[in-house]
Order: sequence, then C-alpha cells, then structure tokens
Amino acid sequence: MLQCTINGKELEVKPGTTIIEAMKLIAHEDIAHYCWHPGLPVAGVCRLCVVEIEGNPRLQIACNTQITDGMKITNQSEKVKEAVKWGLDFHLINHPLDCPICDQAGECELQNQYMKFGKYDSEMAEPKVKKHKVVDLGPRVVLDSERCILCSRCVRFTDEVTKTHELGIFNRGDRSEIGTFNGRPLDNKYSLNTVDICPVGALTSKDFRFRQRVWFLKEHQTICTGCSTGCNVKVSYNKEGLFRVKPVYNEQVNGYWMCDEGRDVYKYVNKPARLLDAWMTTAGRGEWLHPLTAAKKVGEFLRAPENKGKSVALVLTGQHTLEEYEALISFFKNEVGTDRIFHWVNNPESMNDFDGLLIRGDKNPNTKGLLETLERHGIKTEWKELIDGLSTGAIRTVVVAGPENQAVYPDFKAKVLELSKAQKLVWLTACKNEELERLQGDVTLIPLKTYIEKDGTFVNYAGLRQTVKKGLTVVANAMSLVEVAEAFKGVDVRPEEAPFKVGVGRVNNEATLQRGSL
Amino acid sequence: MAEVKYLTEHYDKPEYRTLEGYKKYGGYEQLARALKMERQKIIDEVKASGLRGRGGAGFPTGVKWGFLPNNGEPRYLLCNADESEPGTFKDRLMMERAPHQLIEGMIISAYAIGAHKAYIYIRGEYTGPAAILEQAIREAREAGYIGKNILGSGFDLDLDLFIGAGAYICGEETGLISSLEGTKGQPKLKPPFPAVQGYLRKPTIVNNVETLASVVNIIRDGAEGYRKYGTEKSAGTKLFSVSGDVQKPGTYEVPLGYKLMDLINNECGGLKPGRKLKAVIPGGSSAPVLTAAECENATLDYECMQQLGSMLGSGAVIVMDDSRCMVDILSTITHFYHHESCGQCTPCREGTGWMEKIVHGIVHGEGKPGDIDLLLKIANNIKGRTICALADAAAFPVISFVTKFRDEFEYFIKEKRSKVKGTKIYAPMHH
Repeated sequence: MLQCTINGKELEVKPGTTIIEAMKLIAHEDIAHYCWHPGLPVAGVCRLCVVEIEGNPRLQIACNTQITDGMKITNQSEKVKEAVKWGLDFHLINHPLDCPICDQAGECELQNQYMKFGKYDSEMAEPKVKKHKVVDLGPRVVLDSERCILCSRCVRFTDEVTKTHELGIFNRGDRSEIGTFNGRPLDNKYSLNTVDICPVGALTSKDFRFRQRVWFLKEHQTICTGCSTGCNVKVSYNKEGLFRVKPVYNEQVNGYWMCDEGRDVYKYVNKPARLLDAWMTTAGRGEWLHPLTAAKKVGEFLRAPENKGKSVALVLTGQHTLEEYEALISFFKNEVGTDRIFHWVNNPESMNDFDGLLIRGDKNPNTKGLLETLERHGIKTEWKELIDGLSTGAIRTVVVAGPENQAVYPDFKAKVLELSKAQKLVWLTACKNEELERLQGDVTLIPLKTYIEKDGTFVNYAGLRQTVKKGLTVVANAMSLVEVAEAFKGVDVRPEEAPFKVGVGRVNNEATLQRGSL
Repeated sequence: MAEVKYLTEHYDKPEYRTLEGYKKYGGYEQLARALKMERQKIIDEVKASGLRGRGGAGFPTGVKWGFLPNNGEPRYLLCNADESEPGTFKDRLMMERAPHQLIEGMIISAYAIGAHKAYIYIRGEYTGPAAILEQAIREAREAGYIGKNILGSGFDLDLDLFIGAGAYICGEETGLISSLEGTKGQPKLKPPFPAVQGYLRKPTIVNNVETLASVVNIIRDGAEGYRKYGTEKSAGTKLFSVSGDVQKPGTYEVPLGYKLMDLINNECGGLKPGRKLKAVIPGGSSAPVLTAAECENATLDYECMQQLGSMLGSGAVIVMDDSRCMVDILSTITHFYHHESCGQCTPCREGTGWMEKIVHGIVHGEGKPGDIDLLLKIANNIKGRTICALADAAAFPVISFVTKFRDEFEYFIKEKRSKVKGTKIYAPMHH
C-alpha cells in the first residue's frame, strides 16, 4: 500500500491507483473532469482534472498520473483553480449555450462544473465555431456537434466496450466533430450508453429527447427485467409515467452499462399498455370488475370442492418475484390441492445465449428463482402433460400468471390459443393484449402490478439474489401475485392507491413524432 | 570559424545521391566498422559525442537510446522526416543530396539499439525527397545493406519509407507513431514514453534525419572527433535553414556556438540594402522571437538560446527586417497553429482558434482594448496544459510577439492600421 496526502487528507491506496481514482472514489474530493470515466480507458484530453503535486512545478492531470509513495497532492491551490477556470472556459467558448432547449439541462456536467468551479465572466467576444446540428447517428441516438466537447467518451465506448468502432472524431482542431464512418450508423445493442456517458447535451436519445425536463423527473432504483442478467437500473418517472431507464453501477452485475433493449422495458409499465381493471365473463356476458372482487370470486371457485384438485393447472413464467412464486404455488398446492404447476418457457432454444457483454437469451428476470421454487416444492412437470390434460379433459381450469413483458414472448399468441381450450381460464396479466380480449368462453383477466410497483426478489442467471423496492403505483388496484394468492384465499387485501393521479402517460408526444428532418 | 562542410561535405556532388557515388566518398565504410563494434560501444560513443536531437527538442540522443527497456520485446527505429516546423528545410536537403548518409546512419543506429525494423516517416508534401529515398533504399537493399545478415554480421534490418499525409502534428513523435500505426495522427499520452511503449506498443526510438545522419560521422571520427566542432554542451555542427529578409536565404552548416549575426551577415549576405534588422525567430515558428538587440550577441547553441528565453529548435532561422509588421506575421503564425492543432486537448483545440480570431480581428481593424492582455492570458493557459507541445508551440510566438512588440499591437488596435507603413494584410478574414 502507498501513503499519500490529498488536500491534506492522509490516504492509503493500492499501487497503480491514479490520482483521480483516489480523489473521486476513495477521498470523495471534488475534482473537475469530463473525459475520464471509470469504465473507459484514459484519454487525458479535457485537461480539467489538473492537480498540483508537491515538488513538481507543472500541473499534472490526475487521470493519467499514478500515485507514488509519499505523494502530496492538492487541487485547492490558486494555481489549480485558475487552470480549471480556464479549462472550463475553453470548453465553453464555442459551446452554443442553448441550455433552454437542451435535453441535458439540469443534469449537464458543463452546468454543474461551471457552478462548482467556474462562475466567471467569459471574455470570449469572437464569433463561435459553427458545426452540424441534429446529426442522425443511428436508430436511437442524435448528435449536436456544437454542444459536443470532444471528450471522446462515446468513441472510446464503441472502441473498447462494444468493440463495434462506429464512432470517430473527424477533422482537426476546433473543426473536429464526432461522426460515423460512411454507411455505418451507430447501431449496436448498447448504443444508448453513449448518451449516458456524454457529459453534455451532444448525444441525446431519440426516445427521450424533448419529452421531459429532467428536473420534473424523480428517480427510482430497481432491477432491469429485460433478461436474466438483472442489470441495476434507475427509472425516471413523474406523474405522467415512466420516461427512461438508465444503468446504475454494479460491479458484480452490469458494471456501468446496460443494453438498449432494457431501456424499452419501461414502456409496458405506462398506463396505455396496461390492463386497468378485471374482466370477467360469466354465462356469456362479460363485465369489468374491481380486481379484488374478481380475484375473490376466482378464489371461491378454485376452493370449491367440486372444482379443486388435479383438474386445476397453474402456469408460471420467469417474470415474477420469488415471493410471488412462493405465495401462489403454496396456495395451489395446499388450498387447491394440485401439483400441476407448469413453467412456460418462452424461448427454449436460445435460453443459454449470451452476447459476451450483458445480453442473455433468457429474457426473464427470474427463471432461476422459479426453477428453485418449483424444485423446493418437489414439482416436476412437462408442458406436454398440460396439453394432454387439456385435450383429454383431465385439466379443466387453468390459471396463468402471464408474462409482464409480452414483447419477449414470441409464442404468446400460440400459448393463448393452446390454453383457451380450458373450460375456465384465469389470466393474471399486467398488460392488455388483443389475443386475451378476443377470447370467448369463461375467461377472467386480473390486472397485475409490474416490477416497479411491488417489492420482491429476482434471482439472476448467476444465482445472485437482487431485491427491488416499490417505486410508484401506475395502475391503482392492480395486484401482485402475493396479493392475488391472498385474495384467492378470501382475504380482503388492501387495494393500492396511486399516490397521485396518474395521467394517461405519453408514449409519444408531438415533438417526438414531428421532427421533420429526423 | 565560419561555415563548415562536415555533414554536408559532398553535398555539391550530384553523384553523391547514388549508391555508387556515395561509396566513392567512403560511403557505408562506417557501417562495416560499426557492425564489428559492440552495440553498447556505439551507444556510449554517441552519448560521449554530446549529440542532441536535431528535430527541435534537443534531447541528448545517446541518453534517449539508453531508455529502451531490456524486456526482450522487438524494437523499432523511426526516422522523423516530417520536417513540419515552419521555416525548416534542412532535412529535405539532406534527403535529396545524401539519402544514403541517412540510410547508413539509420542502419548503424538500428544495430546499436537492436532494432530489426526501421521506418522513415516522411511528410506527404516531400514527393521529391520521397522518390529519391525510395530509389536509395532499393539500391541499399540490392547491395545487401538492408535485409538479412547485413555484410555477414548476422544483423538483420528491414527499412521502409512511409509517406505521411502532411500534418504538423505528425512531426511530434507520438503523433508520428499514431500516424504510422494507421490511425489519426494524434499524440499519445505520456507516460508511457515511446522508448518503453511506442510503435505498436513496442519500445521505439524516434530520431530526426539530421541526428541519424550525424551518427555516421560520430562512428568515423569518434566522440572526440565529433566534438571538434561546437561547444561543451552543444557539440557538433548543425544545419540552419535561413529564410526571410536576407540576401541569400538557404541551408548552412555551421558549428554550434556560431554567432547568429555572423550567420546572417556573412553566410547569408546580410540584410537587403537600406533595411534594419527587426527580429529573428531562431528555431522555427514555435520558438520565441528575438529582438534585434537580443540577436546582437546571440550564439547558435542550446544554452544561449535557452538563456535568451528562446530555443534552437529545428534550426529554422527566420529573419525579419524593419519592413515587416509583427502583427501581420503573428496573424499568419496563429493561423498556422489553429489550422494544425489536432483537436484532442481542449485548451489547444479551442485556444488556438480563439487566439487566431483575436489577432485576425486586430489586423482587420476590429481590435479591442484588452485584446493584448487576453492573448497573453490565453497563451499562458494553454501552455503546458496539453498532451504534446503543440500548445506551447502556439503560445510561445504569441507571448513573445505581444510582449516584445507590444507597441505595434497597441498601435494597430488604436489606429486600426499597421505601424509599419506599406503593410498589406494578406490574412483572410475568417468570420
């Protein structure tokens, strides 16, 4: 271990630690920087992280200087402050300062660092350099070259993380601009990470831009349910619904990144995609019911002596939490008396796929958790038994805890058709679906909560248990499977109220639809 | 002492360019001798000779060679023939007149440092010298000076010419390496230094054309013989490219320590009739300018130039007489550095453009009071704040011009015309 002093604080660091790592991650000192990112190789180009090292007349950059034993470092000296001030000014002299219409405003490092280290009057009176605006880089990302500070984070990301090398810096000097090579758009499965790591408003997400000012958004940390990796993420939301998903650092799971697919996971949480009330068909007539009422009715039916037993089957997907599996399976085993509990595998042939970075073929957050629970209950079933049971009439009632994310269930329609052979079909689902609404016969649909709206545990592909906490309620009265199991038993679970009136939620707004050139 | 013909002894003979002609005057004899010497002996000899890098930085060559780590990795020798410092044209002469001298120097140097692959990185604009070098390399290869088992010594060396696309920054050694690697010519972060991790991340030595050519003479005459010329700290001779307001501009070889005014007055035939000396840039456009008074006793060596706050640089002496407007000249210089900044580091990328805009504003009558101080502030805040020395190169002329000729700048800002009568502004308006 090496001894060093940073701004008067005594510190012990491992050999090989750079000054900026020690300052930011160990000493938690403020240090200005743009190009340095802990998940990327050092570029050393923004020149903002300058520090003064005792015995060295020249200021050094903290990102490319390794700590040596006994080093005395400060970034509080007047010399450093003056250098940082000028460094900031050099970043800003050609920046358009179009903060009022910039999506990054409110979470922009230029704004933040100016407030922290700048607060000066610029002496730049000369005309600014003009560069390209609204450059379409790829299906998900837009570039504004004038806002760009050329920190090269995005270039290094495509070079070092995805290794797809789409981005480069073209031209020279203050005419430099980020761009893509001819005919090769920024189109990889992780492209939106470039927007996250862009410290300014140069790279913006087509999905998010112009939809909300960030200061109107709250954040909730949770787990991505897009696949079995279980990336740590935060969702941004307000009373209009969820707006975006961003990764949260977790060394064990996803590092600093997440995939583009996972960013779309929020879309089915918003109200337009959701089933808002229970739908129950009895004797050919359908009616909307309070979900609790519907669940209790179903529970009564299931527990009735003439219906219970092995004629009831339960179908589960890997999309719910451990607690929910436990509650529902216990209910069916103990109260209904059936062990005909089936695992609906959506993509058996690609279950073990892995792209080498984060994306896994198993598109369920909790397949491992489901398998664990089934095994603990000693349940071993084959999907074929369910189909056979339905055709022979041995199985008459089917309860399905349907997938939350129907988009990753390519066999959804086929399964609905298969299962609709049951005399009574109860489908617990968070989202609406045309196939379900078209079903005839004795069908009950009960709205479920999504992963944002409940507490629970997911077990990822590697067996890592990750807990999510309830963030917000989008659909009042929607139930978790735990609550459904309670209601099936006849318990009056307290209905959930939305903490504020949730609006319809904008999936698209006019600005995103009518962008003209884009 | 006056002009010498030490490195340039046979430059007046056209056949010296060919292998046959070169051999007639003792060519490749030193190679044969060197290949029988121990490697360390050659390095020691170069160290003892006091040879310093002739490209601009003046770093002792033998010491640089000594930085190579003994880790068994392949090593590379690169010859920097980018010669991009404005005002410099001595390497071109060397490559045109004596390509084999460079090649011989490179083979000896490669043998000394244990490199089996060497490149000459030549700037794209030098099509003539490139063709001559190509021919010479072919001749040397056919004669067995390049290739396997050179002169039966068991030493292998492959030597190739690489033609750049013409960028100032590719004369910076790590920029050169990037360009040679096939990426954008941008300097790399140091550390690691090229001697440790250079071309293809392998130990690499980058030396200037003149430096490598000098190695032949050092082998021939020994360190002591080489030290016959020059001063204690600046040993040997150096080629100076003199341009500007002198009667006979051109490349002159003089021993280091030679008087600047003697070079101007004797070798270059003095100033034009009736003109007075105003200023001299002694080492290429990035070297701080010297006033006529400072030139008075200046000698052409590393110590004196450092004392005067300037540098010997690449030995490009740019002479300006009293018909020159310093504001106009600075506007050309700032334009050059703005154009050539690679754009990697923010202070240089943005600062060079800003300085150019301010100076251009002044020469186009849009100068504002405070511009001079602002120029100084910008220059002082890009200097030393970047990966490579381009920011310094851009800042030094600004600082020295504005400080030493402040009156001309103040006059221009106030009167909106040059203090020097008859000045025509050629710099285009950029905005």
